[in-house]
Amino acid sequence: MAMTAAALDAAHEGLRAAGIDFVSGLPDGWQRPLHERVELDDDIRYVPVCNEGVGFSICAGAWLGGRKPALIMENSGLRVASEYIARISLGTGVPVTLLCSYRGDVGETEHWGIPHGIVAEPLLDALRIKYLVVRHVEDLAKSIVRAKRISEAQLHPAAVLVSGDCVWED
Amino acid sequence: MALDRYEWLGRLAGRLPDDCLVMSTYIGAVSFEWAHHTEEHHRTAHLGQMGDVIGMAVGLALALPHRRIVCLDGDGSVLMELGQLVAMGEQQPDNLVVFVVDNGVYESIGWSSQGRRPTATAGRVDLAAVAAGCGIPYTVDVTAEDELDAEIELAFSRNVCSFINVRTRPGHSHVRPRRTDGIEDKYRFVRYVERLEGIWITGVPPQDIALMKDRKQ
Repeated sequence: MAMTAAALDAAHEGLRAAGIDFVSGLPDGWQRPLHERVELDDDIRYVPVCNEGVGFSICAGAWLGGRKPALIMENSGLRVASEYIARISLGTGVPVTLLCSYRGDVGETEHWGIPHGIVAEPLLDALRIKYLVVRHVEDLAKSIVRAKRISEAQLHPAAVLVSGDCVWED
Repeated sequence: MALDRYEWLGRLAGRLPDDCLVMSTYIGAVSFEWAHHTEEHHRTAHLGQMGDVIGMAVGLALALPHRRIVCLDGDGSVLMELGQLVAMGEQQPDNLVVFVVDNGVYESIGWSSQGRRPTATAGRVDLAAVAAGCGIPYTVDVTAEDELDAEIELAFSRNVCSFINVRTRPGHSHVRPRRTDGIEDKYRFVRYVERLEGIWITGVPPQDIALMKDRKQ
């Protein structure tokens, strides 16, 4: 199961429209096609990592060097990255756009995704990260643009959680 | 055999290329002594914390590939997130040189009559060997002052992604703590980078201000 072809196009379009020029992340089943697409985009520097916390640190460093970064990951990665989000962004105010698969959202088919869904939104609230849950493909591109926009305005991460029709065609 | 931290950080500061940028720790002895030696020059980002200093340096190095980036970290911080070495080894930014103050203890938390709390490098862990295993092209474990001088000269005379682990004696810092917080440190560094690179990092870029004026007319 991966994001739909339409969602893939919309996510890529959203990243480009938002001016994202630096992406780090750890691929998951849903957003794997987006990692593959971004890796081939000559306008975006793609940095794969084996740990979302390291990915966040790399994005923060890239922002300090003038890039516009996004971190693409499963929502389980939010838990891994949360230590560095707290240290870097709550402590110093560094913006990174977060694009997360929303495993465990209503409609989930996998038992292992349930804990990810339970933790994601309370964790984002605890980290004072504003977010949009996107369940319709037509909302995806503009949501990424808006998340990046407020991220830059507040100098703190903002997130998009991707679910619903972006991944399920039932 | 190990080096004195204050002394070797001073020697490194004295040989730092003028046009480089530095990613350093945010608090603790390394940060305070580096700030003392460099008179808090704004080319240093005192923004790294336990487990994220090298990661941020990798991001900065990839963002500015034409600019030499120097990273200062401690053994406890490197050990907290070894995945940073994986990323550095995978990306191999040739403009990045990492120096690690490896004193084998958690210095900044204080100590008692039982001594200082050891890090894993006081035991079996060899960070330079770990870094080599992660694919970082040049790694070295420095244990003497003349070795450090040679490594500094080598590092700044070429463009090779390097990890220089410096075995350092534990010892309390005698310089005063820094007074600024992460917000002020960020703005200092960001404004310096903006001037140095001629780029716009925060705020509304000039071209967008022009667009806003056009819309009002």
